Amino acid sequence: MTGVLDRAARLGSVGTVNPDPVPVPHGSAEPDDAEVGRRFAAGDEQALALAYARWAGQLHGMAVRAFGPGPDAEDVTQQTFISAWTGRARYNPEQGPLPAWLVGVCRHKIADTWARRDRQRREAEAAVSEAQATPAGGTTPPVDSVVTDRMLVLDELERLGQPQRGIIELAFFADLTHAQIAERTGIPLGTVKSHIRRTLERLRTRLEVDGAALPA
Amino acid sequence: MPHCQPEQLALAALREPLPADDAAHLGSCAECRAEVAALQRAVDAVAVPEFAEPGPPVAPPASVWAGIAAATGVQATPGGTASDAEPAAPAVTAPAAAGGQVLPLRRSRRTVVLVAAAAITGAVVGAGAVALLQGEDSLEPLTTVALEPLDGEPASGRAEVVVRPDGSRALEVDLDAPPVEDAYYEIWLIEPGVVDMVPLGVLRPGTQTFELPAGLDLAAYPIVDVSVEPLDGDPTHSGVSVARGQIES
Repeated sequence: MTGVLDRAARLGSVGTVNPDPVPVPHGSAEPDDAEVGRRFAAGDEQALALAYARWAGQLHGMAVRAFGPGPDAEDVTQQTFISAWTGRARYNPEQGPLPAWLVGVCRHKIADTWARRDRQRREAEAAVSEAQATPAGGTTPPVDSVVTDRMLVLDELERLGQPQRGIIELAFFADLTHAQIAERTGIPLGTVKSHIRRTLERLRTRLEVDGAALPA
Repeated sequence: MPHCQPEQLALAALREPLPADDAAHLGSCAECRAEVAALQRAVDAVAVPEFAEPGPPVAPPASVWAGIAAATGVQATPGGTASDAEPAAPAVTAPAAAGGQVLPLRRSRRTVVLVAAAAITGAVVGAGAVALLQGEDSLEPLTTVALEPLDGEPASGRAEVVVRPDGSRALEVDLDAPPVEDAYYEIWLIEPGVVDMVPLGVLRPGTQTFELPAGLDLAAYPIVDVSVEPLDGDPTHSGVSVARGQIES
């Protein structure tokens, strides 16, 4: 078993791995979701298996919706769990449930796949235009700015604390109004509104600083 | 009327309906509309149905977990809680079944190629035929590993770990693969996390013997991997694997 832990320690570039196995409370055969989240963050290998057993179907459903059944979707699901495990130091169980965090990782992987396809498309177009060798040609077609924006927004969302992240994700991805968000979370209406405003400002700033310049 | 409250403009950016007077003002004020448009850039970037709160679940095929287990080195299994009580139970997951995935490699400068290759992966590597004939004084193989093609690549073969009378070890490889242009085959031993790896050398179709470094723990580097390396002077793994097998320990 130590060999496995040694390897895990080498892999864990983003976090430290507890050299001792996380104690498994015997008798409680089915830890609840919060317990799985805490164990996952602590590096308990069994928690990765439990997380997979509980949420792989949900994540794979997202991947299949994006790419259809097959290798692309399977790769997204697989990479989501691998990335979540190796990057588990970024998951804070106090900041929200593990499945919500995994869904965020999955969105990243879907966006990565789109960005890769966009890059391949541009490279192919660049090769064509180079082959045609028009005097003014030979330039690489521009990056699809929406593809870039999407990556930046997802990245910035990951940096948000709670409750800001949960609020904006409900607005973005669950299509809830601010009143519905207040109702669901129990956060006062005015607070929800000001969090939405500040988060959107923050995202705008990120896009203006790091995103492609938009045509005037 | 004065400009809309900043919070109202944010809600407008989310396409929530505004109260009548805010809506009327927005209709006539270019400044407020510009503000909404600026805030909306982020909203629009992620407003794709693919990101919406998860819909119906779809069970992934078993190869997905096998790939995760191989890449993370995790030996727990998602099926049930039996191993909960015995977390040290060895080899619960058949790790060789994971070999069908082309797994991420550190320091790969060609991640694009690697990921693209992974995306078309369909092959699942079967467990290598394990001989485990404890060598007496001959070159009887300690272990025989079937090298199964990845991604439908036309490469396959077998590898045998042999122990010589003096205790030194070698890997005898029999590769059945077409010649490659401006590239060559290379054989590697890789650890289950697919981070660390030991290059054994240049491989050509046919039978060859590679010296195994003394003291190398084969249990720590059980994946026998055949890659295609371009003639680019880069000594790291190209990320393009064509055949793989796993040494059972």
